[in-house]
Amino acid sequence: MIVADIKPFKEIMRLVKNYRKICVIGCGTCVTVCHAGGQKQVSEVAAQLRLAAKLEKKHLEVGEETILRQCEHEFIDSLEGLVQKYDAIVSLGCGIGVQMLAERFPHTRILPGLNTKFMGAPTEPGIFWERCVGCGNCILAETGGFCPVTRCAKGLLNGPCGGSQNGLCEVSPDTPCVWQLIYEQLEAQGMLDTMEAITPPKDWSVGQGGCGPRRLVLEHLVEEEKDKHKIAEKVLTRNDCKK
Amino acid sequence: MAEVKYKSGNAVVVENVINEEAPCVVACPIKQDARDYIQLIARGRFEEALRVVLSKNPFPSTCGRICNHPCETKCRRAKVDEPIAIASLKRFLADGSFSISKPEITSSYSERIAIIGAGPSGLAAANDLAFLGYKCTVFEAQSEAGGMLRFGVPSFRLSRHALDMDINAIMNLGVEIRFNTRIGENIRLGDLLNQGYKAVLIAVGLQKSKMLNIEGAQLNGILTAIPFLYAGSRGEGVKLGKRTLIIGGGAVAMDCARTALRMGCKRVHIACLESRKEMPTTDYEIEEAIHEGAIIHTSLGPKRFLGKDGKVTALETVVCKSVFDNNGRFNPTFVEGSESVIEADTIILAIGQASDLSFLQEQEGIQGKDALSSIQVTRGGTIAADLATLCTNMTGVFASGDVVLGRGTLTEAIGQGKKAALAIHDYLRGIKRKKEEEILPLQELSSTRLQIIKKQGRQRMPTLADEVRLGTYEEVELGFSPALAVKEAQRCMNCGAGAVVNQDICAGCLTCVRVCPYDVPKIAVGDSIAYIGCDCQSCGICVIECPAAAISFKSTYEDWGEAELESALKAHSERSEGAEEPLLLNFYCQYNTFPADEAFGEFAKNVKRVRFQCLAKANPLIFLKAFEKGAKGIFVTVCPQDECRFNNTICWAEKRVKYARGLLEAVGIEGKRLKLISTTPINTDEFIQWADQVTKEAEELCSLKENK
Ligand SMILES: Cc1cc2nc3c(=O)[nH]c(=O)nc-3n(C[C@H](O)[C@H](O)[C@H](O)COP(=O)(O)OP(=O)(O)OC[C@H]3O[C@@H](n4cnc5c(N)ncnc54)[C@H](O)[C@@H]3O)c2cc1C
Ligand code: SF4
Ligand code: SF4
Ligand code: SF4
Repeated sequence: MIVADIKPFKEIMRLVKNYRKICVIGCGTCVTVCHAGGQKQVSEVAAQLRLAAKLEKKHLEVGEETILRQCEHEFIDSLEGLVQKYDAIVSLGCGIGVQMLAERFPHTRILPGLNTKFMGAPTEPGIFWERCVGCGNCILAETGGFCPVTRCAKGLLNGPCGGSQNGLCEVSPDTPCVWQLIYEQLEAQGMLDTMEAITPPKDWSVGQGGCGPRRLVLEHLVEEEKDKHKIAEKVLTRNDCKK
Repeated sequence: MAEVKYKSGNAVVVENVINEEAPCVVACPIKQDARDYIQLIARGRFEEALRVVLSKNPFPSTCGRICNHPCETKCRRAKVDEPIAIASLKRFLADGSFSISKPEITSSYSERIAIIGAGPSGLAAANDLAFLGYKCTVFEAQSEAGGMLRFGVPSFRLSRHALDMDINAIMNLGVEIRFNTRIGENIRLGDLLNQGYKAVLIAVGLQKSKMLNIEGAQLNGILTAIPFLYAGSRGEGVKLGKRTLIIGGGAVAMDCARTALRMGCKRVHIACLESRKEMPTTDYEIEEAIHEGAIIHTSLGPKRFLGKDGKVTALETVVCKSVFDNNGRFNPTFVEGSESVIEADTIILAIGQASDLSFLQEQEGIQGKDALSSIQVTRGGTIAADLATLCTNMTGVFASGDVVLGRGTLTEAIGQGKKAALAIHDYLRGIKRKKEEEILPLQELSSTRLQIIKKQGRQRMPTLADEVRLGTYEEVELGFSPALAVKEAQRCMNCGAGAVVNQDICAGCLTCVRVCPYDVPKIAVGDSIAYIGCDCQSCGICVIECPAAAISFKSTYEDWGEAELESALKAHSERSEGAEEPLLLNFYCQYNTFPADEAFGEFAKNVKRVRFQCLAKANPLIFLKAFEKGAKGIFVTVCPQDECRFNNTICWAEKRVKYARGLLEAVGIEGKRLKLISTTPINTDEFIQWADQVTKEAEELCSLKENK
């Protein structure tokens, strides 16, 4: 899942300072799970904004809404009427959500309320770790299921380096050395010999920043030109769905 | 399956659920919403609680005293420690001088209804029919209303003042009672129909005392229970001998024994067929009788009365082997040659009551043998009625209470009276009602949870001192004080009305699964959303922590401090003098503080209190809102760990305060304005010390420079 963190409130304040009517919009999927952009956070940010406005003796109208996913057109479309009522939107979606809203509502200022951080998972309640950078060419089979691209501070493909100490990374004592983990896993699986093979340089062109934004096309799902008019009919608000 | 609506955020959600309810509610013959009024008492909302009681129960004062409370027998808390003292809580409400507006009754229908018998069943029917818009007339053979409650139940269990409170409330609805009017004697049953009554309810109870048909039954000194009890309750002495023996093992026998003791008889014995376990009354009644000095001989059957000079002197008994046969029918067997003698110069028969249906024989045009066959009567002498509608085989004639039940209880009689009222309405209006859906009791608490839930025994009912009890017919039980009532009500686990997940919103994030101290929320294998079962203890942690705001309480009585915050803000803004004083709020936990709270009264004028049913229910939002609406500081006073009503929720209150402080500081409000103080506000002295400390802190805060 995508892990994000709420922006410092001062920054959000700075972003919205020129607007009188703003709506905070959350996303009900990844950022809900990491307690950054679900309805709970929406209410809290909205309450903070109201309180801050009050302290500054300013008039500020703050709306609240959360949709299932800010990264799908169909879900975003249900916001149309709402968005029109506001000068600016603070999106508590990840960067994708913010951009999707910005594309869909070109006449409204869409402002990010989160800092999108990484793809990761909670390893224990309340603690999230990065696990994947989306390199475009997965090597986990060779590394015992631990990703050195993401988890080795130096991104070594043929680790460990000399800085691995007592199983910890020299860059940060909070971080386990992933090469140590890889070693232990392969040893336990009787596959230590895979470590002897030298991994050749990776093709970074398929990764992030390789050659512009990446794209995935599922031919069988791409709509034919003649079917396109149907899309409009498919869009329902969440309330319609319940009917 | 039924549709259930609950609120989540601003949306009303409709969900299909299996019809389950707290066992205390299901067990009650009138489906009194015990849980709801208990939850209201726990919050000190007594008027509303009484309103909940009255919406179903026209006899709150009486039920609060003598109901055999199947709700308590089934209470899920019994497995944890002891059941909630539900009946005593009801009594507390009924006895309180809470102002409740008089209900508005409009008589919408012209049909008049005749009710025979002003016992609880007939009066309950009259009550409900009045609310439905009918005028009814109750015909009562005696000069007073109440039936067995007045003529049977002793006043040391049910004061006549308490009984009168209930009856007067019913009469105030415009119910007419014609006293000294015995149907069959003063008016015939058939006449009622001729006089224009469109429906008749027979609720005559069981008025005849059963006699023992054994040798010596004609001897002097053998009495029956009801006249004896009635004399006692009216304060009239009955001449008893030196030794009184009561025959019977039920509640009536216990009442007779306790009455005989009050009449000054020093040696009161009870003999019954049943073994101690089989005795048809509650342990409590038996224990009270023993406590007051009665001696019980179990498993003894009466063989013959022995006498001298026409006066009874003893009872010859024989050991009872078994009371019931294999089919559970009453069919006692005895041990041959086991005769023994219990000496007694007064013997009171408390072996049950039978119906007196002689008035059925005098129906218009029907005489003799055919008479009984026109309104069907069972072999046991009760009136045969359809238990769903309580109508008899004669159109327009209904029956309810003991005369249908055989030996019933107060709430069963009320329950049938209510059911009959609705059936009469349906009959007169031609309404066809769907069969009531069966409501199942929630399953029992899981055994693992029994281990986790903190034990807290129930509050003891204050009683008359032993030395004075036997010298008076005054009530033995004295009733709960508000402090006791609140404390007791706070033990209730709010079964079936706790947290519920809005399935449309749940993100399956597992937060609830992880934070619940009772391990209740689950995401089943193959499921993507959380489910919270009926073992929820209503601590509220998951509701606040759910990042999707997908969890709410089914109960509408939990308001998360909102209402009190509103009224605190309002009270402050309305205060003209010194309005420039800064508003300080004390967020406190109401479990633990109520008694001392009462004694203490108020803080400084500018300190307003907002209570929570545990501070784990304080949402960070409410802190923000308080400051937004003008508060200048908040003290959160948490109870010490070992006094927490829940499990380890103190740490949640602490985390919550820290979190809220973070939100406030981000906005520019000094963290100092939000303080957390641990306290033991259990007894008054400590509470006052603690309040002093809080006030000092308040002053310190006031002196902080106001933010911008
Ligand atoms: C001593 C005693 C103790 C009890 N203790 C408890 C207890 O602790 N808890 C509990 O739940 N239950 C208890 N009960 C049972 C409870 O009182 C009865 O179940 C209940 O009163 C039945 O109500 P009812 O309205 O059907 O009949 P009743 O209360 O018997 O009322 C019937 C009324 O009809 C009147 N009537 C009869 N015939 C006629 C007629 N022909 N014309 C006009 N009026 C007539 C009678 O005078 C009477 O007022 C006790 C009963 C007794 C006797
Ligand atoms: S704990 Fe409360 S809600 Fe649960 S069964 Fe007992 S009285 Fe009813
Ligand atoms: S905390 Fe809320 S969103 Fe997360 S699983 Fe529980 S109910 Fe669902
Ligand atoms: S309210 Fe408390 S007891 Fe109930 S499910 Fe939530 S966390 Fe568990």
